[in-house]
Amino acid sequence: MADDKRVDELGKAVKEALDKGEADRVVGLKVDSDGSVRPYLWVKGDDVSALVISPKYPLSTVYRLVHEKHPDMKLGIVARGCDERALVELSKRGNIKLDEIVLIGIACNSDEAQECVCHVPYPTKISAGDKVEGVDTDELLEKIKGMSLEERGEFWSYYFGKCMKCYGCRNSCPLCTCKDCKLEQELFVTPGELPPEYPMFHLLRAFHTVGRCIGCGECEAACPMGIPLTKLYKLLRDDVKEMFGYEAGMDPEAEIPLLTDLTVNPIESGEGGA
Amino acid sequence: MNDENFEPRILVFCCNWCSYAGADLAGVSRLQMPSNFRIVRVMCSGRVEPEFVMRALRNGFDGVLILACHIGDCHYIAGNHRTAKRIPLLRKLLDHVGIDSKRVMLDYVSAAEGEKFKTVISGFIDDVRQIGPIRTGLKWGA
Amino acid sequence: MEAIPEYNCVLTTCPYCGCGCQYYLQVLDGELIGVTPCKTHPISQGKLCIKGWNSWQYVVDQGRLTKPLIKKDGKFVEASWDEALDLVAKKLKELKEKYGPDALGYLSSAKTTNEENYVMMKFARAVMGTNNVDHCARLCHASTVAGLAATFGSGAMTNSIPEIEYANVILITGSNTIEQHPLMGKRILAAKEKGAKIILVDPRAIQLSNFADMHLRQRPGTDVAWINGMMNVIIGEGLYDKEFVENFTEGFEELKKLVAEYTPEKVEKISGIPKEQLVEAARLYASGDASSIVYSMGITQHTTGTDNVKSCANLAMVTGNMGKPSTGVNPLRGQNNVQGACDLGALPVVYSGYQKVIDEAARKKFEEAWNTPNLPPENGITVVEMMNAAADGKIKGIYIMGENPMLSNPDINHVRKGLENLEFLVVQDIFLTETAELADVVLPGATYAEKDGTFTATDRQVQRVRKAIEPIGESRADWEIITDLANRMGRGDIFPYKSAKDIMDEINRVTPSYAGITYDRLDKLGRLPWPCPAEDHPGTVYLHKDGKFTRGKGLFFAVPFLEPAELPDDDYPLIMTTGRVMFHFHTGTMTRKSRELNREVPTGFVEINPADAEARKISDKDMVKVSTRRGEIEIPAMVTERVPEGIIFIPFHFKECAANVLTNPALDPVAKIPEFKVCAAQVKA
Repeated sequence: MADDKRVDELGKAVKEALDKGEADRVVGLKVDSDGSVRPYLWVKGDDVSALVISPKYPLSTVYRLVHEKHPDMKLGIVARGCDERALVELSKRGNIKLDEIVLIGIACNSDEAQECVCHVPYPTKISAGDKVEGVDTDELLEKIKGMSLEERGEFWSYYFGKCMKCYGCRNSCPLCTCKDCKLEQELFVTPGELPPEYPMFHLLRAFHTVGRCIGCGECEAACPMGIPLTKLYKLLRDDVKEMFGYEAGMDPEAEIPLLTDLTVNPIESGEGGA
Repeated sequence: MNDENFEPRILVFCCNWCSYAGADLAGVSRLQMPSNFRIVRVMCSGRVEPEFVMRALRNGFDGVLILACHIGDCHYIAGNHRTAKRIPLLRKLLDHVGIDSKRVMLDYVSAAEGEKFKTVISGFIDDVRQIGPIRTGLKWGA
Repeated sequence: MEAIPEYNCVLTTCPYCGCGCQYYLQVLDGELIGVTPCKTHPISQGKLCIKGWNSWQYVVDQGRLTKPLIKKDGKFVEASWDEALDLVAKKLKELKEKYGPDALGYLSSAKTTNEENYVMMKFARAVMGTNNVDHCARLCHASTVAGLAATFGSGAMTNSIPEIEYANVILITGSNTIEQHPLMGKRILAAKEKGAKIILVDPRAIQLSNFADMHLRQRPGTDVAWINGMMNVIIGEGLYDKEFVENFTEGFEELKKLVAEYTPEKVEKISGIPKEQLVEAARLYASGDASSIVYSMGITQHTTGTDNVKSCANLAMVTGNMGKPSTGVNPLRGQNNVQGACDLGALPVVYSGYQKVIDEAARKKFEEAWNTPNLPPENGITVVEMMNAAADGKIKGIYIMGENPMLSNPDINHVRKGLENLEFLVVQDIFLTETAELADVVLPGATYAEKDGTFTATDRQVQRVRKAIEPIGESRADWEIITDLANRMGRGDIFPYKSAKDIMDEINRVTPSYAGITYDRLDKLGRLPWPCPAEDHPGTVYLHKDGKFTRGKGLFFAVPFLEPAELPDDDYPLIMTTGRVMFHFHTGTMTRKSRELNREVPTGFVEINPADAEARKISDKDMVKVSTRRGEIEIPAMVTERVPEGIIFIPFHFKECAANVLTNPALDPVAKIPEFKVCAAQVKA
């Protein structure tokens, strides 16, 4: 099976990185005897036969947490395309240093790419798996785009009305690292309400994904109510790309557009509202 | 389709250095303007977080206008650059979730542009009057 | 020295509601840093509610008890374990000798593990010689255990959580599912998106109301009436499952005769539910191939709680919605391990596995297993009875493990009187609770994150709890404390436990329904639903398969409607009902230690309808006085349409405005559950 091959390749790469001392620890996934899969810090001498690649977890967050506590540690990470892009954005915000990461890349297969509707289902360095084409067609997104203003309002108010305010979307987001979260400010979101005040909570969070969201889908995966958050954030990602030519996580050198002046990131297109 | 007598409630964010002075000039010049707007003076349009705009809409304002210095004239050099990037994105977001983005507008008014202030305000109020009152509660939008 | 990063994700079970979500506790260098959902878990599926996400914070709260405390001259003084446990052993012995074993009572806990509940009830029975052991299930689902045991033969949720997603019709009553069992609420909405119809019967407008196809708002305490009314329509219109009724049930004729009296017109008069709505709901429920009933405290916490539960059972059986996937009667249990605490015999009438203490064979079996002759043959007394007996001076000492009756029981002022009247009170807990403050000795227990064990979820699934960090301070796992105490009292022979697994091994031997639920299997399978009678048995996902009820035939009870114990009058014209909110749990000892949860809802409130508020000149957020015959509290008003006119609602989490100062301690005669859900109240500005 193709997947077994990928896991084998990855296991070898992880073992090699640890054995050669390129990395002291590697953030990855491990399966336990009951079949449950968890983030794990691989260390030299571990039996990598329990290493697995799915379901995917926000591993960049684990990397960040361990790195914060042990900044001098040579830390590796098993990274899919989205994990790498998250690391790129984290480094731009000073959370981690890109050149210190021992990146062990894994390419997603076409099923995975399809499931995530991933545009770039591979990292820049690949140690396991083969690059497959990115996916551009998104049925639900096209459907939403085709709706009238009123239909869109109905669509989102239904989903936002289901929200149980678990903050899972925020908690699982690799790029949500603010110490003080706007969602917790009484001025903007009335505390204790269910569903959270429509649509402040969700618009606020959506706006805060601008220039950050790398489309990993962890928010939607963590949503108990199945709110199609990735669709909304994708629409904004497309806007940011159109207006500023910026794609989060793609180019480590590109500056975050909302934090620069117009001389660095001029508005490339789209009406400015003026 | 809308109530004939509907008069929108409008909130205007004006930067202290340009647009607010522009509004002042419009007043001193006794230009005739509609009266159904409230001004919040901010030190810089860059201070207007998108959250402020959302909150105004949530609190029942039918439209929010953000008036900034012209690009290049910012007292803080590039504060209004941020505004110029954020507000259009916010408008996109409103549009995505089914809220008419014409309820939120960004424009540039200098201290000398009393007349422009009047034109922009009047035009905006007319536009929002066309859209109709905002609905609050769960079905907030349109 | 270079620090070595130890990052661990420890799979464990959430300590809040009974859904049984598992997730990972994240531990970095021995320090608990957070929670990560488990994507491979069948219930949580990588998702959690806000309580789950924040369930690690109280573990590391600065207010944790870290040393045993002994009260000297009215003040707590820190003590060594030896000193504290020797004192407890000495006092328990003294009281037992002086007043007899039944002058002592033991409260076990639905928050602690199965192993700890087993050890606690064994301690009460084998070491102390009394069946006076109970726990807070008495306050939530005692009526479920009694009602469903009588009708079906098994007092537990009939089906499992994942099944609900595939029901055609879901009747939800007395359950604010999205807030109280969020991951179950999620399944209900998922079912709706698959085409299921949802009937909600609840006096309050809740988040679920926005998604229900029908929302019937009954007057609190009239559940038997409207359920009889639905059966009146179903039987009257021939919509019932004749074949099922004939083949698998008994008592139908009596039921038929009784429900004939409950015409929709009559029910409208009693319950306030418009007759057209009732008829439509009855037809809708009967129309489903797989109709499921989901209920919670709104059904159970009444003086007619057992009747209410039996009525739900009647309704399911009449329509043949039993013994099949996605059907059944599904009580949602409030606590992480309230099912387990019942299963393991922390009840005054049964040993583990519901083996009755009055049954001689069962008693003999445990006498042998525990090497203890003359186990007490009489039923013990329940939580509320224990508090009353304490006030009357019949109970002299109480040992409380992980419960907070000073906030959770009805009529708190009376509870205080009882506890203060005791000669000796031991409280074993993780925080110095309102109850612990009254204790003579306080023993610091460890939280779920600091010990091994198992919890049993609402759908009878037994799952592991795993130690993630070392116990904070000198705190110790509850089973260790009781084991130590038993040793000090000379019964080390039957308390030889070195680990939680040792206890489970014993549970497997003496508890038929748990016989096959071993740690080895749990570590391989993740979870096992009881009954699981043997090591090669896969467990039982849904009960009463193919109409084969545990008791043989399903038994219909013809249940007449009775009014609640206290009705509104001129002095107290409003109906007060209580419940919970999404962001807090029970007496708040855990959730109120979390910054995130406290920020959402920092204190209590009384929901009052705008009409009632206006009549009393009350505005939103005003401080008001709410009073009943038991007492009075001051509490902020929340003026809202969520409650209908004439009804007020108060969440019971908050000690500064404790709803249970006001509630009525009147008990259901069978299950002894108090009527938390209805009493007469007045609100004044």
